[in-house]
Amino acid sequence: MLLTQLAVAGIQTGMLYALTAAGFALIFGATRVFHVAHGATFILAGYAFLEAVQLGLHWSLASGVALLLAVAFGLFMDALVYRPIQKHEGSFFTVFVASFGAGIAMQALIQFFFGGGFATISVPLTRAAEVLPGLYIAPVFWVALAVVVVVFAAVSLFLERTHAGLGLRALSENPELLRAYGLSARRLSALAFVLGSALAVPGAILTTVTTGIQPADSAHVMLVSLAATVVGGIGSIRGAALAGLFLGLVENLVVSVVDTQWSQAASFVVLFAFILFRPNGLMGRAGAR
Amino acid sequence: MNTPVLLSARGISRSFGGNAAVQDVTLELHQGVVTALAGPNGAGKTTLFNLITGHLVPDRGAVELKGASILGLKPHRVALKGIARSFQDLRLFGSMSVYDNVLSAIEPTPWLWQPGGSSGAAARRLQVERALDATGLAELAGTRAIDLSYAETKFLSMARIIATGAPIWLLDEPASGLDPASRARFVKLVRDATAAGVTVCLIEHNLDIVTELADRIAFLDQGRKLAEGRPDQILGDAELIAIYFGERRE
Amino acid sequence: MIAYLVNLATLIAIFGIAATSLNLLIGYAGIFSIAHAMFFGIGAYVAAQVALTVSPDFLVAALAAAVVAGALSLCLALPALRVRGEYFVAASLGLQMMASTIFAEAHSLTGGVGGLVGIPPARILGFDVASPDAFLVLALACLAVTLAVVRTLMRGSFGRSLMALRDSESAAEAFGKDVRALKTLVVVVGCFFVGIAGALFAFHMAFVNVESFTLEQSVVLMAMVIIGGAGTLTGPLVGVIALLSLPAALSFLPFIPATEIGTVQQFIYGALMTALMIFRPSGIVGLSRGAR
Repeated sequence: MLLTQLAVAGIQTGMLYALTAAGFALIFGATRVFHVAHGATFILAGYAFLEAVQLGLHWSLASGVALLLAVAFGLFMDALVYRPIQKHEGSFFTVFVASFGAGIAMQALIQFFFGGGFATISVPLTRAAEVLPGLYIAPVFWVALAVVVVVFAAVSLFLERTHAGLGLRALSENPELLRAYGLSARRLSALAFVLGSALAVPGAILTTVTTGIQPADSAHVMLVSLAATVVGGIGSIRGAALAGLFLGLVENLVVSVVDTQWSQAASFVVLFAFILFRPNGLMGRAGAR
Repeated sequence: MNTPVLLSARGISRSFGGNAAVQDVTLELHQGVVTALAGPNGAGKTTLFNLITGHLVPDRGAVELKGASILGLKPHRVALKGIARSFQDLRLFGSMSVYDNVLSAIEPTPWLWQPGGSSGAAARRLQVERALDATGLAELAGTRAIDLSYAETKFLSMARIIATGAPIWLLDEPASGLDPASRARFVKLVRDATAAGVTVCLIEHNLDIVTELADRIAFLDQGRKLAEGRPDQILGDAELIAIYFGERRE
Repeated sequence: MIAYLVNLATLIAIFGIAATSLNLLIGYAGIFSIAHAMFFGIGAYVAAQVALTVSPDFLVAALAAAVVAGALSLCLALPALRVRGEYFVAASLGLQMMASTIFAEAHSLTGGVGGLVGIPPARILGFDVASPDAFLVLALACLAVTLAVVRTLMRGSFGRSLMALRDSESAAEAFGKDVRALKTLVVVVGCFFVGIAGALFAFHMAFVNVESFTLEQSVVLMAMVIIGGAGTLTGPLVGVIALLSLPAALSFLPFIPATEIGTVQQFIYGALMTALMIFRPSGIVGLSRGAR
């Protein structure tokens, strides 16, 4: 039963990773910005939700606040950090360092106001019930599952059916096509940041109510998103989501073999192995070199 | 065409994702001869260079230097065998000075320092100075490559090649966009080199330069070699000229 | 006050070596490693183990530290040869995360989370260099040697080759440069020197644990190089002095509570990195990119 229990935990972690990583991959795919401040978006949303609930807002309104702040931060980064850099030089590393710096600054800011420890709120959803002998599942698992399915369906529909969604995919595949669609690359890049940042919000809220959130999660989320994007294949949103799920599973399942302290390192062993032996990832197009 | 074949590519092909970029092309470069590769954009000329220099590996075919295969060698190994090339987009070492661009081009050893001690270093300095004099860049020796004017970057690209002393030059549109005076200087550079025995293969769109420099022309279109011969033969062929100027037959 | 300044100067010398060595990778070779703290840590642990079990002689410990760090740097050279750009950054991050875990969990080698304690005072050929002043002189001497070596190498053909492949890898290859050998060599040399810095750090602190060798430390080292000016000789030193003086400067500001200095410091260098990338991507010392 332990293995099943771990798998359930792994799927739950993995689903949240999948959403967050898909956001990162969407932004990277459309804009070629390695948005490592995505981790900061995640904790910003988590703390915003927490604070709003503690101020007495209904959870749905609090989620709205979290969404708003996350999107605002994404747009801020796009308009005031990445665009000016890309205008004058725009080497990959310059953008990366700027993003990294902004992520650190945001994390420090949150730590300054809310402290460095875990923060959480208890909700009835997280009380686990025994669904099978020895297998405990909290209702939040089903909530997470539903949220993930709905969000992914919505995002897929958007990317495949709408004019702007097609434009976003064109942006990542062939910027020349944009002109044919009559869309502006600038607006689309803003759209990518809106969508990508919004994708971090469900994971942030669910993490806050289940395990609790801390400023240091910023780095962890950033690393997981990055790992999932590479393992999934740079440029593939679906690949990143799949890899996020996979990494969540690996992190939890290795606990049955080694001590828990090693579980996070397991993700990075996977990442490192992929880069060395399958740099195009699970679903990526060629182009690692 | 009585000089021996120095470099040959026989029956080489390469495709990218199902599109054949170069198909069964054979090219022979004779010692001291200037061969021009002509043809419309996308004909596979630059790909052919990349296949010879090891920047790309052919799917099929053979590449031989003085009868010995150089197929599958890494680009730096090919370079060390005496094949120097330029790039259409130049690929200068932008942050380095003009002098260092040329000097670095003739310091092949990857280890912490070059062999040969101070006499070797002095010899390399002399080589650099000669190349800079030949290309008229001596006064700009200390300028960073990214601060040069367009024509100067073209000549710096040439200076790197001249300095190597390589017996084979592969030049990818070396004179495109040059003003007439610079073009004349460029033509003289290549003439001086061939007089000294250098074998040149150049991709060039400007037919004036081609007629002025080339001893032979190989005409490529859509990855295939359509014809090869003396300039008057090729340039006198109305059909080839029509393809060249884009009046493609169906 | 004097003791404080001596300590600060020693740390500046140690991190000066570390940042200078990272600059070889980031600034000259264009290898954007975020795993440098890993090799700093390897140097520190090796020196500590040598001091504890073999000999407290700094030369022995530092040489062992540098050699082991240089040898293990092949873990970093491997992805550097196979991938670039985002992929390499991701690979180095992965390596750093694995290393942090190993540092924390491999008790027999690193003492686990508790670290290695009671590192004996440094000696050199039988002479005691344990006093803060003597140790500062030793650290400065190591810094001077590092700077001299790096300066000589970077002004020579090795430096030109690295910059050539940073500016255009395919052109460097076309002029006979063995890119694999160059990249491997620069990674080994960079990690060799950070191994020395790690050894100095171990003796200076008399105690090492994983906290000093985490991803955060790698980011701080990267920030030092980039804020100071990557690809310049003095840039990393300027960055080190700026970032290490920051906590001291902040402690003079009365309105920041002492417990929050670390957080404020993080905010400042994070924001500084971002601002510099927007307004002056070549760092404080670096040349402007110039018009094309």
